[in-house]
Amino acid sequence: MVSGESCDNGLKKERRINVMKFRNSLKNVFKFIFCPTLATIHSPLCHYSLPLAAFILAASFMSAQSAFAYLSISAQTDRTELTITENLYLTVTVSANSGSAPEPTIPPMSSFNAYSSGRSQSISIVNGKITTSVSFTYILTPRFVGRQTIPAISVYNGREKAMTPEIEINVTKSAPVKPPAAQSRPQQPARQNAADGAARQTAAKADIPIFLKAETDRKTAYPGQQINLIVRFYTAIPLTSNPQYLPPAYKNLIFEDLPPVRNGEIAIKGIRYSYSEIKTALFGLSPGPASVSPASVIAQVQSDEQIDPFDPNFFQKFFSMNGAQGATKEFRTSNLTLNILPLPEGAPASFTGATGKYTISSELDRKQTRQGEAVNLSVTVSGNGSLKTITAPKLSNLTNFKVFDTLSSLSISKSNDIISGKKVFTTVIVPRSEGHIRIPPVKFSFFDPEAQAYREIETAPLELKVEKGDADAKNFNFTQPGAQAVSATGSDIRYVSDKASAPLYANAARALGGVAWQVHILPAAALLLCLWFSNIQAFRLRNPQLFRFKGARAAADKDINRAEAELKAGRLKEAVSVLYDSFMEYLSGKTGKKVSALTTRQAGELIMERFPHTDGYYLEEIRSFWEQLEMVHFSPSSLTAQNAKDLITTYTVLIEMLEKEFKKK
Amino acid sequence: MIATVPSFTDYRLPVTGYKILQVLACCLLCLCAFSCPAAAYDKNELAEINDMYKNGKYQEALDGYLKMTDAESANPYAFYNAGNAYFRLGKPGFAVLYYAKAFKLLPRNPDIRSNLDYALKQTGQALVPDGVPKSLHYLYYFLSDLELKALAIFFFWLACLAGALRALAGTALKEKLKTAPYTMSAACLFFLFWIGIRYSSPFTHGAVAAAPAALLSGPGEKFKACATLPEARLVKILDEADEEFYEIGLPGEGIKGWVKKTDLQKI
Repeated sequence: MVSGESCDNGLKKERRINVMKFRNSLKNVFKFIFCPTLATIHSPLCHYSLPLAAFILAASFMSAQSAFAYLSISAQTDRTELTITENLYLTVTVSANSGSAPEPTIPPMSSFNAYSSGRSQSISIVNGKITTSVSFTYILTPRFVGRQTIPAISVYNGREKAMTPEIEINVTKSAPVKPPAAQSRPQQPARQNAADGAARQTAAKADIPIFLKAETDRKTAYPGQQINLIVRFYTAIPLTSNPQYLPPAYKNLIFEDLPPVRNGEIAIKGIRYSYSEIKTALFGLSPGPASVSPASVIAQVQSDEQIDPFDPNFFQKFFSMNGAQGATKEFRTSNLTLNILPLPEGAPASFTGATGKYTISSELDRKQTRQGEAVNLSVTVSGNGSLKTITAPKLSNLTNFKVFDTLSSLSISKSNDIISGKKVFTTVIVPRSEGHIRIPPVKFSFFDPEAQAYREIETAPLELKVEKGDADAKNFNFTQPGAQAVSATGSDIRYVSDKASAPLYANAARALGGVAWQVHILPAAALLLCLWFSNIQAFRLRNPQLFRFKGARAAADKDINRAEAELKAGRLKEAVSVLYDSFMEYLSGKTGKKVSALTTRQAGELIMERFPHTDGYYLEEIRSFWEQLEMVHFSPSSLTAQNAKDLITTYTVLIEMLEKEFKKK
Repeated sequence: MIATVPSFTDYRLPVTGYKILQVLACCLLCLCAFSCPAAAYDKNELAEINDMYKNGKYQEALDGYLKMTDAESANPYAFYNAGNAYFRLGKPGFAVLYYAKAFKLLPRNPDIRSNLDYALKQTGQALVPDGVPKSLHYLYYFLSDLELKALAIFFFWLACLAGALRALAGTALKEKLKTAPYTMSAACLFFLFWIGIRYSSPFTHGAVAAAPAALLSGPGEKFKACATLPEARLVKILDEADEEFYEIGLPGEGIKGWVKKTDLQKI
């Protein structure tokens, strides 16, 4: 994994490079405008230097802006003005920060017939960053005179969309053409003659002024072997505009346009025809029948027919004609059937289906590296054939390397109506060990249809000097940022769960939530109770005398019970002691002072002070009872059970009376 | 400087308070005992049902999953599996209904979220509304309604216990428990608030139209139909007092009306 920091560094570096590129392009433009060299002064380019400079400036600006994006597209034409009989080259360049650049969508063009003229791709891997630039070339044939527009061309990579601006093209009338011979066709004259012969046969059947003819240069071929389809449109009468060509559909075939449109003249049965020829290269996909559906041409033919204004179909006829009194007509070819032959037995192990004639070479982007550092190994397959379908040759015995995914770039040429070019497979390899490491030859096999035999070719072995890398390099983990990411082709729901029970916490939550609400009153009630209890405690602490006063009677009652128990048990002395202590406590609780430390007289005064409405009789009773208690308490020898019982009874009655007396107000 | 160490009596609770707290703690333990996990569904039986699903016997599998949901109404996986079976049977309304039930019980489960989102997208709806960050939505629905309720109850009990303990505690303990009751109360209020705002969620108080249903302008067949609810549409039930009709609202569209109770399934 590339760390976040290294990603940031890579991004910064890329931005710096883009800014430098932009500065360089600006510098070049200004050099071009203000400091033209001698060569440019005398060259015809000099006349176009300003508009060209402006164009380059705009293009540079756009490219600098789009450099930060994942996807960019630009379109340019080789000229902005042409005659109706000429062709225009449109180059659409798609750049992307990934291993592959998507193909642009060419919108329907009513003013031009468009033919694909090939593509070239360049791919660069710098510091693990992959940049791909693909140039798609199209040949446009104008259909009408006047100012025409090439609509915006868009490209979409599934995440973002880029679009070119519209391009204005001025189409002028053609100069008068001498009635010349057909355009020179040095290649394949036999085919030319064959096509002419077929056309003569067609024209001979009837004096047809306009017709469309399609044929292939062979009826049988091996998968991947090139078959040329020739569609010719013959006309012996003038047309009011360039016809519109609707290409056929192909079954079990892939195709490549072979522009440009070729024009010429031919005499058939004494009638002089002008013709336009469109060629397409076809490649069979798998053994079995293949077919080419009818192609058609829509043309506006001059008509001498006068339209009757009282004709019920007046409007229909009127609108089917253009201003030059032309009628729109469609011409179709017949259906063509081809036979794709099976490849013979005995294919080598390295054969992956390539058909044609190829050569192979390989190279490393450097001869010397360090352990753990990435090296680009490029294997180039060049030749004639369906290069698009060629797959990467297998790299074997690279045990000393960590091998990453292979990226391919394709460059196609269509000269002489033969599809040729090269496909470069770039693989990032990282040496694991140091020393002189040999990269073994890469084998590639193909079927040569002319010789009807398989050929196996291989690259020369390569040698790489690997020096000892540093500690970080040993742990190098290369991640291709532009590598083909896993692309979802569909989505679905996730699979069923095999968990049989609800999670523990879900059950607990459900149970706790399901408890009757009345239960939850309990903590609230407990809280209130505790608060009340706490308040009581606090009040008791603040008013200790009040609680002693109130509790004195209860304490005395308890003591009486204890004394009776002691009496029953025969412990007379203990019974009297309980009574004595209880009486002292009772009086202390009622008066708020420790009575045991006072004399009977002082105690009487204290009681009178605390309870002024107390009758003197009761004071006398208190004094008398106190003296009796003191007497038996301090001389227990005179104590009898009867005395003790009497004392308890007296104490009980006295307490009862005093309670009433102390409540007087 | 000599630190004053609180004496043992400072921590000691009065006997009565101690008894009260003992009772409360026992009650809380009883509640926890009530909350013991329900008996799990037989694993072998589930494996058999899953095999049926795997072999394309979706109806048989569905019957099994529905038995599970009846046996364990708090088992989100049973609802999830039933939703899957409904989805395979081409009943998106019921699939959404059962996924939503599973989501209500275990909203943070990635499988449940994924399938509910998938089923909703199939019916033109979305689990995460437009403009809402996914992470925020995930956090908002991290806990289920039952978990929120349980947490609110738990913190309520803890707040009461802490309050009671503090009321009866000595000075030093009281000082230690100074903020505890308030913290617990705040937590309880937080979860109550969360429950409150979640009450407006379509997955808490919504329903699913299991079949295209007419949205009437009043609670009766004689009222004009003002819209048609497509299958699997989540709606919000506003009133269910009527015997035959729910009053429902579609917050996204800003319309409300009445739908027959037989046309909707409550989540």
